[in-house]
Amino acid sequence: MDFYYGMAQLIGVHTLLGLSAYVVLLTGQVSMAQAGFFAIGAYLGGMLTVLSDWHIVPAMLLAAVATALVAAIVGFPALRVKGLMLVVATLAFGEAVRLFWFNFDYQVAKGDIQVGPLGGEGFKQIRFFPENGWTTGEVALFIWFWVVLVMLALWWMDRSRAGAVLRAVGEDELAAQSVGINLTSVKVAAMGAGGFIAGLGGAIYAHYTTHIEHSNFGVVLATFAIAYPILGGLSNVLGTLIAVIFIQGVLVEALRFLGDWRNLLFGALIVLAMNVRPDGLFDARVTRLLKRLLGFKADA
Amino acid sequence: MEDFWWNVLDTAQSILDGLMFGSIYALIGIGFTLIFGVMHKINLAYAAASIGGAYASLVVYVHLDAPALLVFLSAALASGLIGFLVYLCCFRFIPTERPLATLMSSVGMLIFIDEVVVHVTAGFPEPYPAIFDDVMLVIGPFWIRGDLLLIFGLSIVAMLVLLYVLYRTQLGIATRAVAQQPVAAQLCGISRETTNGLTFVISGMLGGLAGAMIGASVGVLSPLLALPLTVKGLIVTVIGGLGSIPGAIVAGLLVGAFENVFQFFRGVTERDMYVMLLLFFFLVVRPQGIFGRVSTRD
Repeated sequence: MDFYYGMAQLIGVHTLLGLSAYVVLLTGQVSMAQAGFFAIGAYLGGMLTVLSDWHIVPAMLLAAVATALVAAIVGFPALRVKGLMLVVATLAFGEAVRLFWFNFDYQVAKGDIQVGPLGGEGFKQIRFFPENGWTTGEVALFIWFWVVLVMLALWWMDRSRAGAVLRAVGEDELAAQSVGINLTSVKVAAMGAGGFIAGLGGAIYAHYTTHIEHSNFGVVLATFAIAYPILGGLSNVLGTLIAVIFIQGVLVEALRFLGDWRNLLFGALIVLAMNVRPDGLFDARVTRLLKRLLGFKADA
Repeated sequence: MEDFWWNVLDTAQSILDGLMFGSIYALIGIGFTLIFGVMHKINLAYAAASIGGAYASLVVYVHLDAPALLVFLSAALASGLIGFLVYLCCFRFIPTERPLATLMSSVGMLIFIDEVVVHVTAGFPEPYPAIFDDVMLVIGPFWIRGDLLLIFGLSIVAMLVLLYVLYRTQLGIATRAVAQQPVAAQLCGISRETTNGLTFVISGMLGGLAGAMIGASVGVLSPLLALPLTVKGLIVTVIGGLGSIPGAIVAGLLVGAFENVFQFFRGVTERDMYVMLLLFFFLVVRPQGIFGRVSTRD
């Protein structure tokens, strides 16, 4: 049973990462900095519970707010450029964050051991869950509480004016600007929201793995972050969740017997999926179809 | 005072070494920028294809025991072929107005090529041949590695050939026409698909040469090179200005020299952080890049 709880934890954390990229993608911007934001949330969250003995919930929220601030600050210079330049700018920022933690030492003696981040060796002993006697099932439930909360919030946002504004910017910047939408503030807000979700996910990630190091947060993770919403489709938050379940659950776990060939298949499948379904698995047509099948009135 | 002069000499020496290594970055940057110029798309599989081509040329080296120059040439050819395959799999059949889809498919290709290399070589680094690696030129107080000088020379030759192709041949005119006005070019009877495909082959050949140069200068090839090379190549492309070939050359040399100086003074772990800062400096001060024009479209 613990194996399935572990799966649920992994899928939950990756869903948060994917959703953080989803918000930014709605405005038509591709941010490769999500792994960097995830790292900031992970290190800050871990430092708050380990070094300052905070409870995990306030630590997570503070880490998320701090990450959101960083994301918004990065947003200003980065959003001067757009499209493909932004991909490169955010990629570079994500790498800079990773390299920062690679060179960052801050250790404090606690009892007879040294705790805290230690450069290339990483940040060990983030033991909030085991120290407080949480079982794997409880941790999984805790993670999914946040995942559902974030998904509901995003779903609600999508149906409100804010969602319409984000999508308007994503569809056509010029048209959005001409109806009086302030592009910069919308994009910075989306970056900030994405940063908040990534920071939240990162803080949870740090606590459930108990050991983080800079190499966890490289380009590969950033690629995964944007791969989930793009593969899943941007018409719905569920697309991201389905893509995460498909990649982490089916490709990584169920195909484990394929060994190393799995990664090869993974690359080939992405290429194939994008050729066959350039709008993602869960595009507008599938959403309409599902709504009709489930008996909702087709309103999209 | 004595120390000061030694520092100046060391700095100059590391700039010199960096400039030579930077010519490889310039080649990679040109590849990204060429494809961007023609298709307005980024091919993220490009650096992986370059390393893949260099790996493919090992077949010639190991089995036929070919001379190093021939190995470099076959790396370029193999990488050109891979470039064409990348075009077919990731760009040809995906609608052009879906930038996210082609971005993602080229990422998938990057993973795929990387994994093929890992599988074929069992993940071990492979030795790569070099020319003049035992020659050391001494000019005044400076030392110049013979193999690096050769790499620099070969890169310059490759760039000159590319400029000749682009500005003096029919193919080059067609490529530039498609880059400037795709619709008008098609109306003049230029096939957009053929031109795009050929651009991938040409940039792939440059990349294969760059991959071979990296193998020659480091002495080994490793699949771990693909990701850092992608990041560096993209940075060079942006600093130089998207779509600008002279920009990519200047930016490649600049980044090479810059990172080598910081590697000398701050060590290898901090080096890339300063390169990122250089990029951010350009994004704030000159977002269109060194030679880029201010444009309003993607």
